[in-house]
Amino acid sequence: MRSRHPGPAVQRFTLAQRIEHFLLIITFNVLAFTGLPQKYFFTGWAERIIRLMGGIETTRLIHRTFAVLLILQSFYHIGAVLAARRAGRERGTMSITFRDVRDVLLDIAYLAGMRRERPVFGRYDYRQKFEYWAVVWGTAIMATTGLIMWFPEFLARFLPGVLVPAARVAHGGEAILAVAAVIIWHFYNAHFRPEVFPMDPAMFTGQVEVERLRREHAEEYARLVEAGIVRPLPEGADQPALPSVPPQ
Amino acid sequence: MKPEVAVGRRRLLAVSLVALAGTVALLTVGVGTVVAAAAGAASQEEGCLACHGAAGLTLTLPGGESFPISVDPAVLRRSTHGSALTCATCHPDHTRYPHPPLTARTLRDYRVARAQICTTCHSQEAGQFAGSIHGRALVMGFPDVPTCTSCHGAHDVVRASAPAFRNNTPQLCGTCHGDPQIMARYGLLPVYEAYTREFHGVTTALYKLTKPYSPTPAAICYDCHGVHDIKDTEDPAAPVAPRNILTTCRRCHPTAGRFFASAWTEHKTPGPGASPLVWYVQIFYRVLIPAVLGFLAVLTVLDLSRWAGDRLKGRPR
Repeated sequence: MRSRHPGPAVQRFTLAQRIEHFLLIITFNVLAFTGLPQKYFFTGWAERIIRLMGGIETTRLIHRTFAVLLILQSFYHIGAVLAARRAGRERGTMSITFRDVRDVLLDIAYLAGMRRERPVFGRYDYRQKFEYWAVVWGTAIMATTGLIMWFPEFLARFLPGVLVPAARVAHGGEAILAVAAVIIWHFYNAHFRPEVFPMDPAMFTGQVEVERLRREHAEEYARLVEAGIVRPLPEGADQPALPSVPPQ
Repeated sequence: MKPEVAVGRRRLLAVSLVALAGTVALLTVGVGTVVAAAAGAASQEEGCLACHGAAGLTLTLPGGESFPISVDPAVLRRSTHGSALTCATCHPDHTRYPHPPLTARTLRDYRVARAQICTTCHSQEAGQFAGSIHGRALVMGFPDVPTCTSCHGAHDVVRASAPAFRNNTPQLCGTCHGDPQIMARYGLLPVYEAYTREFHGVTTALYKLTKPYSPTPAAICYDCHGVHDIKDTEDPAAPVAPRNILTTCRRCHPTAGRFFASAWTEHKTPGPGASPLVWYVQIFYRVLIPAVLGFLAVLTVLDLSRWAGDRLKGRPR
């Protein structure tokens, strides 16, 4: 946190990105809160939540309203990514490359104590990329299967009706996967990891301390130093030399 | 002009008075009759309930079975017949004491015989039932086939149009159609379990739990299979027969496309032979969920243990 890492900071997320993330927190949580009781309808807690919402019809209405919000948000996101690309602004570093696969293996080796050095990461490390693509994949599956269940009569004009019960199974399975992955992976990385506990503030302040950037995203740090955006920090005794910037 | 008007008024007054008196007299007689009839019925009911109102009475049939013959007056009054029928309507030969001996040897015989009395008023339903798969099986003497009271109860009959009756229908049918032993005797699948997991079944279960006074909008057993005229699902005339199923779906889903019928999984648990696509999706998630979560959990544990190890050894991170 700030007190732990005083010092200069750099912009990491734009205001628009932070608003997007904040909206995603709301839509994801409302969808989980109104969706999981529908999957586990036979339990007492599900019954209480549905009662609280005023019955299954209202629960479904809230669920579908926030689903529409999430879908609109997804379209906005795709538009924003495309616009940023067209304008030449860097936002494409989310693409998964062979290097990320290597990073995972090297990082596992480091964490298991088989290597001395942690691999060096760019602007987004493999954990963050994994989370990003998990949201993309999850939203695509949930939106598609959800719309199939919402408009089964329309779907059956063109495609076999068996897709409806299949969509229902996929919607429930993907929901469990998404909620559990957020609890295990996102909560750990953004909240419970000893370095950031109780919370990584970067997504809300939009800022990240240069020192932390150097430690966790050394390659991005080196790039920003090279570009003259960031003044280099004094080399710490334990600090390895700057990695060389790979050709873009 | 003036006297004539006066005469007209007096005549009008007289006619009005006569009419009023007549109305009052008629009303008095009418209400009196109804009250007297109700009083008679009430006193007769009281006579029956003097014995049958006591809790815990049973009667043992010659076959050895015994069944309760106590009637809770509150339940009887709340029932849909409570305000319309008297004991003697359904038990006409039991108005005197001692009652004539029962002819039925078993409880089953007794119930089948009792169902006859329902047909006196509900003749249309009785006719439909006689032609239904249940009615035909009843005539054949199969022991599990429902009669009127199996579904509607006897002294606790509720209005079949009541939301509670609708919401409770799947469970009612499920008492037999969810029992593998009973179903096996007739070569049928116990479909109730599968129904409760289907979209319709989930909605109905939730209505029953959270909105018992609203009728479920989702399809329940009789919406697709019929009520008293339920047919064998193999019968080409059945509403769920392959040729009729889409028409049946469209009663609630009027805009359903032509491939809609296969959205229904026939109350079968998905498997290689029934809705294989659904089964494959199930398998996919059964593998994907533990694989992904397991991988993430391993990474998390590794990360934490490396941090703890570094701290223990005093290594900076």
